[in-house]
Amino acid sequence: MPSRRRTLLKVIILGDSGVGKTSLMNQYVNKKFSNQYKATIGADFLTKEVQFEDRLFTLQIWDTAGQERFQSLGVAFYRGADCCVLVYDVNSMKSFDNLNNWREEFLIQASPSDPENFPFVVIGNKIDIDGGNSRVVSEKKARAWCASKGNIPYFETSAKEGINVEEAFQCIAKNALKSGEEEELYLPDTIDVGNSSQPRATGCEC
Amino acid sequence: MDEEYDVIVLGTGLKECILSGLLSVDGLKVLHMDRNDYYGGESTSLNLIQLWKRFRGDDKPPPHLGASRDYNIDMNPKFIMANGNLVRVLIHTDVTKYLSFKAVDGSFVFNKGKVHKVPANDMEALKSPLMGLFEKRRARKFFIYVQNYNESDPKTHEGMDLTRVTTKELIAKYGLDDNTIDFIGHALALHSDDRYLAEPALDTVKRMKLYAESLARFQGGSPYIYPLYGLGELPQAFARLSAVYGGTYMLNKPECKVEFDEEGKVVGVTSEGETAKCKKVVCDPSYLPGKVRKVGRVARAIAIMSHPIPSTDDSHSVQIILPQKQLGRKSDMYLFCCSYTHNVAPKGKFIAFVSTEAETDQPAIELKPGIDLLGPVDEIFFDIYDRYEPVNEPTLDNCFVSTSYDATTHFESTVDDVLNMYTLITGKVIDLSVDLSAASAAEE
Repeated sequence: MPSRRRTLLKVIILGDSGVGKTSLMNQYVNKKFSNQYKATIGADFLTKEVQFEDRLFTLQIWDTAGQERFQSLGVAFYRGADCCVLVYDVNSMKSFDNLNNWREEFLIQASPSDPENFPFVVIGNKIDIDGGNSRVVSEKKARAWCASKGNIPYFETSAKEGINVEEAFQCIAKNALKSGEEEELYLPDTIDVGNSSQPRATGCEC
Repeated sequence: MDEEYDVIVLGTGLKECILSGLLSVDGLKVLHMDRNDYYGGESTSLNLIQLWKRFRGDDKPPPHLGASRDYNIDMNPKFIMANGNLVRVLIHTDVTKYLSFKAVDGSFVFNKGKVHKVPANDMEALKSPLMGLFEKRRARKFFIYVQNYNESDPKTHEGMDLTRVTTKELIAKYGLDDNTIDFIGHALALHSDDRYLAEPALDTVKRMKLYAESLARFQGGSPYIYPLYGLGELPQAFARLSAVYGGTYMLNKPECKVEFDEEGKVVGVTSEGETAKCKKVVCDPSYLPGKVRKVGRVARAIAIMSHPIPSTDDSHSVQIILPQKQLGRKSDMYLFCCSYTHNVAPKGKFIAFVSTEAETDQPAIELKPGIDLLGPVDEIFFDIYDRYEPVNEPTLDNCFVSTSYDATTHFESTVDDVLNMYTLITGKVIDLSVDLSAASAAEE
């Protein structure tokens, strides 16, 4: 029987304020949706165990915590991402137009070792609004943009109604895993500053 | 921006970011701004392009140094005491979840023209040439006294009131020679000058205990830990904490101008023609230059190298203390080195810093004793900057200005300033008695 290796994969979610990034995370991880919009407060990163073939791994999904609102994400947020999710609102042309900026910002800040092949996934969210009548970005237009940027996988979702969210994140997880495997990162031995464990006797006199 | 906040924080230095995080967690509405397009202010870590821009103007870094993003060069190099106040704050706020740490390989001291390891265990202590055999025996008795000393247990005091007995008097009781005193005061208690000798011994004993406890914490080669990707991670981690609890972040805001009413009380901050109102302002000295005074200067050299510092047992991360008396100066000088093993440089590269409280206007000459210990360097940069402390009365103007970072090798004074400011701002005291013994070393 093949051994099960546990892997931690970092996924970051980018996009304009208000497109539903936090709701997508919550729908995927917690199966919850809140109608009350507030620019993100209290969202951090969420983790979810995912099994793919014989592999068990932990997806660590990072929200922007609202710091994207005034373009104030730090380089630490981007570092080590295995997959980057770009989210726009199908009812907001501006949020779609800004995908290009978000993608370029990611490539600058994260500096992946293979920028041409770094895995992105694009999500067009809020397809439920007004039964689709207030939609301004056509699926065709979005798919064309994704194709032009190296065939980025594309999903249309409703975080509110849970449409296509699972499918989108399955793709994200698969791509993150593929990316995480290919990276040969230098992984120094780190110490754990915060976790509880058995107390150690302190008996040293320098 | 035209909105109302409880507190506006200016500058994303480590102190300001810790305060922003603490205040947001407390439920205050916080706006945090910085004129730069990166986090960290004076305590940031720069990539290679940013480093060149700051020190070499329009020059470009040479390609052979590797990718710019692989560099994270601290502008305020310090190590973290493993049992110190900053670790307590990190645990108290749970900000450790955003960070990874690695032990620092070694701590060394310059003595009589040579670099010596500060012993990390009994075996190293016995072999160390820093003391003769009989002196070691006397020092051991002193160390046992310090180890057993408990402020609240008079039986451990051996009849001495350390709030009155000076350090010099305490050490004299154990018959230690001047060389040993120098070693204890500078390499263990981490004093940067000799004023401690005439002051009550309690502070020095506490510092020695902190050193010993930090050394025991992860049982590495030194009492220090240091974050992967450099110290610039720390302000970003606390900023994220603030954002998660509702703090609003605006980088790249030029000319943050603090506005006052006719009574001199702060009312808001204006940037790019918009004004945000607030009850209080927290900032680093550069945002309110009229409310601070100069208290000193720090001289620093930053070097990129392709080898560890000689005589440090090939340590990839290391501190060397050069006590003032060894150099004939008023203050100690510090060497600090980290490398690709902490992800602050590409494979094979090391970043070294030489720092001291400046006594001249010539950093290149003044820092020479430290630079000479580095060996060959690929590139070197020099910096000298003023240190400030606030002179305003926060109860009158509601402005809370942090003190500049000093040249010390660790963050204890930094956190003390933060905790004092927090109490001034909120009227509350943070309980940092985190159970550190429950948080221990674990190789991941």
